[in-house]
Formats: sequence, C-alpha cells, structure tokens
Amino acid sequence: MSLKHAPLIALGLVGALLLAGLPLLASGYVLALAISMLSFTALATAWSLFCGPTHYISLASAAFFGLGAYMAAIFAEQVPWVIVLFIAAGAGLAVALVVGLSTLRLSGVYFAIFTFGLAELVRQLVVWYEVNIKGTMGRYLFLDMSQAAIYWQLLALTAATLAVSWLVGRSRLGLAARVIGDDEVVARHSGIDTTRVKVVLFALSCAIMALTGAIMAPRWTYIDPAIAFNPMISFQVVIMALLGGAGALFGPALGAIPLVVLFELLTANFPNAFSVLLGIAFIVIVYGLPRGVIGLLHDWSPRRERPRLATPAPFASQTSILAVDGLHKSFGGLRAVDDVSFRVELGEIVGLIGPNGSGKTTVLNLISGALRPDAGQIRFEGRSIDKAQPYRIAMGGIARTFQLVRVLPSMSLRDNISPSLAFRAIPATGCSADVATDRLLQRVGLHHCSETRAAELTYIDQKRLELARALALQPKLLLLDEWLAGLNPTELEEGISLIQSLRHDGVSIVMVEHVMHAIRALCDRCVVMSAGRVIAAGVPHHALCEPEVVRAYLGEADA
Amino acid sequence: MPMLLLDILVSGLVLGGVYALISMGLTLQYGVARIMNLAYGEFLVGAAFIAFWLYTEVKISPLLGLIFAVPLAFLANWAIYRWLLTPLVTRANSRAQLEVDSILATFGLLFIVQGIALIIFGGQYYSYGYLAIPVSILGTQLALNRILALLFAVLVAIGLYWGLTRTRSGTAIRAIAVDPDAARLVAIDVPTASAFAFALGGALVAAGGVLVSMFLTFNAAMGVVFTMKALIVVIVGGLGNIMGALAVGLALGVIETSVSRLVDPGLTLAATYALFMVALLLRPQGIFRSLAR
Repeated sequence: MSLKHAPLIALGLVGALLLAGLPLLASGYVLALAISMLSFTALATAWSLFCGPTHYISLASAAFFGLGAYMAAIFAEQVPWVIVLFIAAGAGLAVALVVGLSTLRLSGVYFAIFTFGLAELVRQLVVWYEVNIKGTMGRYLFLDMSQAAIYWQLLALTAATLAVSWLVGRSRLGLAARVIGDDEVVARHSGIDTTRVKVVLFALSCAIMALTGAIMAPRWTYIDPAIAFNPMISFQVVIMALLGGAGALFGPALGAIPLVVLFELLTANFPNAFSVLLGIAFIVIVYGLPRGVIGLLHDWSPRRERPRLATPAPFASQTSILAVDGLHKSFGGLRAVDDVSFRVELGEIVGLIGPNGSGKTTVLNLISGALRPDAGQIRFEGRSIDKAQPYRIAMGGIARTFQLVRVLPSMSLRDNISPSLAFRAIPATGCSADVATDRLLQRVGLHHCSETRAAELTYIDQKRLELARALALQPKLLLLDEWLAGLNPTELEEGISLIQSLRHDGVSIVMVEHVMHAIRALCDRCVVMSAGRVIAAGVPHHALCEPEVVRAYLGEADA
Repeated sequence: MPMLLLDILVSGLVLGGVYALISMGLTLQYGVARIMNLAYGEFLVGAAFIAFWLYTEVKISPLLGLIFAVPLAFLANWAIYRWLLTPLVTRANSRAQLEVDSILATFGLLFIVQGIALIIFGGQYYSYGYLAIPVSILGTQLALNRILALLFAVLVAIGLYWGLTRTRSGTAIRAIAVDPDAARLVAIDVPTASAFAFALGGALVAAGGVLVSMFLTFNAAMGVVFTMKALIVVIVGGLGNIMGALAVGLALGVIETSVSRLVDPGLTLAATYALFMVALLLRPQGIFRSLAR
C-alpha cells in the first residue's frame, strides 16, 4: 500500500462513515430505499461471485433468499438473532451443496434448468412441511428490530460480500473460476479440480443470499411461502448483475442501485405493466450490453498475484515413466482402443502413429484422464492413474495439447498460462509466475504479444500458446496431439528443434503425428496403431517398413 | 390395490400425454434451433387464453379454435426467431454461449408475455368445460377431452417422427440437430430450417395449450411450471428425440400421478425433480440417445 493510495483510502473512509450514518439523517422513505439497494447489491454481488467468472447461470436466487427469510421466521423467537443468522447461512450452504454436488458436475445448461425450478421446488417443499407437519400456512414474525438495525446489518453484509468477492478475485479460486468460464476442458487439464471450485463458489454465494433473506425478514411481520419465494427476486438479481457487469467487483452494485430506483418508479407509476417493462429492460440489456456497464467503461486489466517463492521441481529417477497395459475403450459398438500396451522410458520421445481413426487420440485421452478406460492399466511413475481425475493427472506432471487447438479465447496470453502455473504441483505465483510466463512465451516465440487476447492469434500461434500452457505445468510427460500438423516447412523445422530442446530438459514425450519426417527426426521409438490395435512398435525406420504398417497406410497392393 | 394401481397407470398415461405433447415442441426448439426457450410455457398459457376467449365470447369450440391458434402461434414464433433470436445466433461463437444468451433473452421474454397476460386477464384462475364427458377405460372414469389430448399427442409424435425420418426436409432438420456448421456445408439452408423448427415447436405448444384448456384450470402465471416440466422431459428424453419425449412425457405423467395419489398432491414438482436428478446421475447424456446419433 503506497502513499498515493492515501486519498482514495480517505475517500473510502468518508464514504463509509456517510453510509453508516445515513439512518441518523434520512427519512423513513429514503432509508427504505437504501435498504432495498443494499439488499439487492448484496444479492447481485453474491450472484456474480459464482456466475460472473464461470458464466454459469443461476436462476435460483429467490430460493436461497426465501430460505434465509423462512429460517428467520422459524427461529427468531427461539434463539438469539446472531444464531438465527448462522442458521440461515448454514441452511443456504447446505441446500447449495446438495444442488451443486448433483448438478455442477455436468454441463452448464443442466445447472441453469435445475435452478430455474429450484425456487418453486423449495416453495412446494416448505408448503408441504407447513401444511402436513405444522398444520398451518404462514408465520408471524414479531421482532423488535428497527429499520436502522436492518440497514446496518445489510451494510455490514454488503461490505463483507464485496470483500469476499475481491479476495476471491485475487485468489487461485477466482483464477480457476475464470478459466472454467472460458474453457472447462482446458481447466481440467491445467490441474484445476473444476467441480470443487464450482461447488465452493456456488455454496459461498448462496450462503450470502440466505443471510440477506434472513436480515430482510423482520421487515415483513407475516411470511408465507408465496412472499418469501417470489420468483421476481431471481429475475431482478440477474438483470442487475448483468446491467452492471458480472465480471467486475463493483459491477453488480452499479447495476443494482439505478435499477432499484427504476423498479420503485415503475411500481409506483405503472403497477400493472411492471412485468412487461421489466422484461423489455432485460432484453435491452442482454442485447445492448452483453458485458454490462463496466464492460463499456473499460477492459479490466489482468490481475496480478502476490509474490511467492517458487521451488524447483523435484528430480524424478525412475526409468519407465509411463506404462500402458492392456488398454481397452469402446464407444457403443466401436472398439476405439483394443488391448494397447506400450512403455515410455524417462527422457524418451515415443511417436504414436497410424491411419486416421486408429485410436491414437483416444489413447491420449485415456492417459490424460479425459476418458476412462473400460479395462487395462495406466501407470505413471509407478502409480496407477487410470481412475484419476484429469486435474490430478495434470498436477502429477502429465500435460497435453489438443488436436483441435483449445486456448482460453477471451483471456490474454499471459492469463492463458498463469492457471497452469498456479495449479501445478508446486505452484508459482506473483513475480516468479511473471518471470516463468515470460520465459515460456519466449520459448515458443510469442513473447512480443503477451497481453494480446488468445482469440486474436493465428492458428499456428494458438498451437504455440497451447504448448506453452502445457509446459507451464512443468510436465514430466508431455502428450502432443498432432502439434506439428499444418506448419509450413520453416515452421516445421522450428517446431522440431523446439521439441528436441524439450527432450534435453528431461521431458518425456508421447506424440501423435502424421508428419513422417518429424517422426523420423525426433522419435526414439514409435508405436503404430490400426483399428484400435498396436500393429507394430520399434525404431521408426524399422517399424515403418513392416508390411502390416504399409498395408494399414497404403492398402493391400503396396504391402 | 391392483385397481388403484391400474387407475394410477391409466390417469397417469393420460396426464403424460399432455406432457409429451408440450415437450415435443420444445425438443424441436432446443434440439434443432438450439434455443433454450424459457418462455415456452407462456405460449401454452397464451393459447389456452385464446381458446377460452373464443369459447366464452365468440362461442367457437376449442377444436375449431385450434385452426386459429396454431397458425397464429407459428407466425408469432417465426417472428420471434427471426427478429429476436437470430441476432443472438449470429453473435454466439459457441453452442454454450448461444445457450447462455438464449436463456437470458427468453427469460426476459417470459416476463413480457406473462406481463401482457396479467394486464389483460389479471391473476385469477380460469376454466371452462368442453367435452367433459365421462368415459370408462379399464374401470377408470376419464373425461373425453383428456383422452383426446393423449390421442393427439400420440398422433403428433408419429407424424413428426415420420416427417423427420422419411422426408428430405426432415433429414435436413436432423442434420442441423447434429451439427449446424456441417449442415451448411451440404447446402442446407440452416437459418430457414431452424426458424421453421422453432416456429413448429411454438405451434405444437399452442396446440397443447388449446387442448389442455378444455380440462385444466389455468392462470397467467402458470407457464413457468409447464416450461420446467417440458425442459426436464426434453433433457431426459434426449435433445431433438421425438420418441424419447413421448416416452419420458408418459413416464412423467405416471410418476406424478403416483406421487400425488400415494404421497401428497403438493409434491408433484419434487417428483419431477427427482426424476431429473436420477436421470442425470445415471445417464448425463440423456436416457434416450439424442436425435443426433
């Protein structure tokens, strides 16, 4: 924190004091409006905490808000208020964990559909409980809590939510969430436990929403499920976060404050047309401001992380780094991989070749954990990895590139690489990460454009970036899926010497490749596959001359 | 007891016919046109209101009302796809982004259509009886109008299935469901066929709305529940899979009826969700294969 921040801090303090002192100055109406603004700011910021970076859409804010309000109604007269708040947050957390664990493992659209009905589902369950167990519907909430007390609690909660959001944005968790938002497959192969990241953020965001509901509950003296689980709340929260910009810290607040005023005007002047006008406003925002007001104001700069010392990778000393035994994988009736076995020794480059459709990429997918084998064993440094999650395998030291290149299109080159640095076995962050990033970009020849967005690169440069990202994991074994395909002769020679230099660093490589020149130049051995089976293996020169290999590539006549 | 089970099965199948009917339209909209339409149920409610108005004010039978409501819904959905959703389709650079954008845009549309219905009809419940003649099937008393809805659903399913698998246009639509980019390369007019699939989906749900209005009590806010059930049937049945939607729709009807008769009528949505969860846990790619493969 340097001296130039002092005026900002002072401004913040004055602002905070003014905000805190508002109940002493303002009228009841202004205070009520301020309460509304604060509660929606907290809700929208909490929504963006999860949905902003990951691009998952939750339509269930009302479920958690209502849950919190209901918990307050049930427990307010039995236990002290502080404990009520804990119960509410706990209930939000618990429901979010159940929902998250069951739906967040899947693709985003299932999650959106599930949350779309969640408020209605929770409402039905509460009604069922109230009618069948308790015998009556609705609850009275006689709590002696002034508007000012509600306001101060909300102010504290909003500040805390912003602080949490800021901290998450700077942490590895936030970085992981942004990578998930850009490409979940890349995230998994960069060493990120995607399910855990999503569930943790979702639960955190829902606990905050439940707390907001609990704090707001004393404003109603009577609560029934229809009031607490009003679907309009889910809708309003999404529209506010989108208007402001869900990707930035103060974006949701920027959306919430004007929209609360707008809603207030609309309900006062056009009570009947409220829903229609809201819908129109929403569509205008989705079309006109896809990245929110914040997105219009500026492209937010990539965040830097706190410096931390990086330690060098431990030296591995086994000979056979990868052992694949009796691998099987079928898709429906197609046997893509049929009893494949081979070994990769430490420091070796093994070429995996064969005609198209022979199962080479499937083998790479099995090794990197993207697919699970039906049968067989994969051992990496002596440990079995055939049941491990992709992120575990990536952390363990197996990096890969994709046949159809996958980069994080909306992030800068630097940010494409930093996740791998932050999530590898021995993470590098801060200055050491910057140095490592520059070195990696230099190595693949992209150092001149480290702040460019990956989407703007040519296909070849995206491939280079992908290699740099894989290398950032400090892999012991690198899986290259046709990395040399599509290069012109000069680039091909450069690519070959780049791969050659990796061997000198002690990286073992399995490369799927069609460029025979490169196979001959680089590979110590090659494994030839056809129709899912290994038909030959050995030194490239000999393996490529075997009659069965010639037949597989060129047909019967030439064999 | 066996009598009760038979009763549940028969009335469940009849209810399921309604779910199947309204899900087939969504499976076209989502499976082919790739629009996750959250406002889908609003068009069902809209058609129900049209049928109600025609029957009570103009004295036109709902079955004749179909002739009016279905083409109207087709046109309205065509217009929505052309002017509201096509910009999103061209803007999106991946399927996931189109899903996100379409969820958001149709979420807004939902409130607009619902808001209009609220302005015109208010929040109260409406109903009218038409063809509520009791018919006895396997000892279970059923109203004729419900059976009609089931028959209609089965006929539509067979007709759509035939059309998709046996005609040139149907093949084009299936190709788009597999891969819109590749379909373009083999000279299929993707925007037109997508708009057609979307509009056809809207027409189907309107037909469903007219039929449902003959026996169901409805109000302006009810569309969401239908959207949700249809979405779940589509996901479980496989995207774009007509027969999958029919089978899962019927199954959902039976499950809901069982829950409402044997456990509690207030927990039908929980039953739907339970089905969804189980299906997702067992087969995340859908119970039935999608139209794609």
